[in-house]
Amino acid sequence: MASTKEIKRRIKSVKNTKKITKAMELVAASKMKRAVASALSSRVYARYSLEILESLSEAITESVNPLFVERPAAKTLFVLVTSNRGLCGAYNAQAIRQTMNFIKQSSVPIDFVTVGKKGDAALRRLGQNIVASFTELPDTLSLRDILPVASILFEEYGSQKYDHVYIAYTDFVSALSQKATIRQLLPISKEKIIKEVNGEIKERKNGKTDYTFEPSYEVLIEKLVEKLSRAQVYQMLLESMASEQSSRMVAMKNASEAAGEMIDDLTLVFNKARQSSITQEISEISAGMASVS
Amino acid sequence: MSAKTLKLKIVTPEKVVLEEEVNQVTLPTMAGEITVLPEHIPLVSALKSGDVVAVANGEHIPFAVSGGFIEVKKNDNVTEVIILADFAEHVADITDEAIMKAKARAAELKTLHDKGEIVDFEHFEAELERSLTRVKIADKWRLKKYRK
Repeated sequence: MASTKEIKRRIKSVKNTKKITKAMELVAASKMKRAVASALSSRVYARYSLEILESLSEAITESVNPLFVERPAAKTLFVLVTSNRGLCGAYNAQAIRQTMNFIKQSSVPIDFVTVGKKGDAALRRLGQNIVASFTELPDTLSLRDILPVASILFEEYGSQKYDHVYIAYTDFVSALSQKATIRQLLPISKEKIIKEVNGEIKERKNGKTDYTFEPSYEVLIEKLVEKLSRAQVYQMLLESMASEQSSRMVAMKNASEAAGEMIDDLTLVFNKARQSSITQEISEISAGMASVS
Repeated sequence: MSAKTLKLKIVTPEKVVLEEEVNQVTLPTMAGEITVLPEHIPLVSALKSGDVVAVANGEHIPFAVSGGFIEVKKNDNVTEVIILADFAEHVADITDEAIMKAKARAAELKTLHDKGEIVDFEHFEAELERSLTRVKIADKWRLKKYRK
C-alpha cells in the first residue's frame, strides 16, 4: 500500500486541479451567458434579413447580383471556425472532424480561412493551404470585429478566385448540445434561403405580396445582399462563440466533478492506510510488551 | 373603437431595440422622409442615417439610426414595420458624455482621414456617419418633448 505521505500529496494536487477547473467553469459560465445572449438577440436580425431577402427574391425572377450566380466549381474557399484556447470538450475536435470529411469528399482543391488558433494548427499539421487566419477576435464580438473576415470572403469570391465559399461553425442548440455544421455561404441560392426561412417561420402565409421598392430593386438588392451575408457570418461566429463557452463550461464541470470523486476515493484510501498503520503500530507495541514480560 | 395601430420593430445586429404597437412612424429613407401609417402598402426600402420617430398615444419616441433597411408588410390585417438598422439608439440613451465622445471620435476620424492614414474608407465613412448622426439627432431633440 502507498505511504500515507504520498497519498496526502496526491490529494493535495487533485484539490488544486479542482480549484482551477472550478474557476474555469465559473468564468466560462459567465462568458457563456453573455455569448448566448448576443447570439440569441442577433438571431432576430438574421431572421428578419432573411425574410426581406425572400420578399425580394419572390418579386424578381432574374437575379443580377453575382453573389447569386452559380458557377461551375473549380476551387473552394473554406472557413473553419474554432476557438483560440483548448479545454473545451469536443468543441474543436468536432468542427475539425467535419472539415476532414469535407476535404475527403471534395473533388476540387480547397483553400482555407481559419478563425481561431486550434483549427489553424490542425490544418497546418495536415499541410493544407491557409490563405488567411484570424486569431485575434475578442471574446465579445461586435459586427465591426468580423468585417475583415467577411470582406476577405466576398472579395475573393467576387474576384472569381473561388467558386464556392463554405463555412464550418458550431451551431448553438442549447447549453448542453452544440452541433458542428457546414454551410454554403456563397453563392446564395434562392431555394436554400426560402427553405431556411420557411423552416424557421412556419406561420408565414404563402400568398405573394407585391412590394414597392424604393429607390429601386437593383440598388436595394446589392446593399441588402451584402449586409445580409455579413450578418450571416456574424451570426455564425456568435453561435460558435456561444457553443465554445458552453462546451467549455460543461467540460470543466465534468472535470470538477471527476476531481471531487477522485478526492473522495483518495481520502478513503488515505484513511485505510492510516488506520492500518495505527493498527500495525499498536500490535507491534503489544507484541514488544508481551516479549518483555 | 381605438385608433388603428401598427407593429413596429427596430432590430440591430446586437439586439432588439424596440418592439411596440404605435400609431405611426416617420423614417428617413434613401428616397426621402416617409411616414408610415397603418394600412400602408407593402414596401421595402433602404434607410439613411437620421431619426426614426414613432408616435404612440400622441407621444413621440425618437431614435437615432444609421444605415439599414425597412420592410412594411401586412400579416392578418396587422401592418408590420420592421426596421433593420446597423445602429439604433433611443435619443434618451444618448447621454451628454456619449455625445462628447462621439464628437471627439468624429474629429479624430477626420484628422486621421486628412492625414491619409485611413485605408478602409467604407468602414471609416460608416463610423463617421454614425458619430455625426448621434450628435445631430441628440441636438435636435434636446429641447423637444418626447417619451422616454
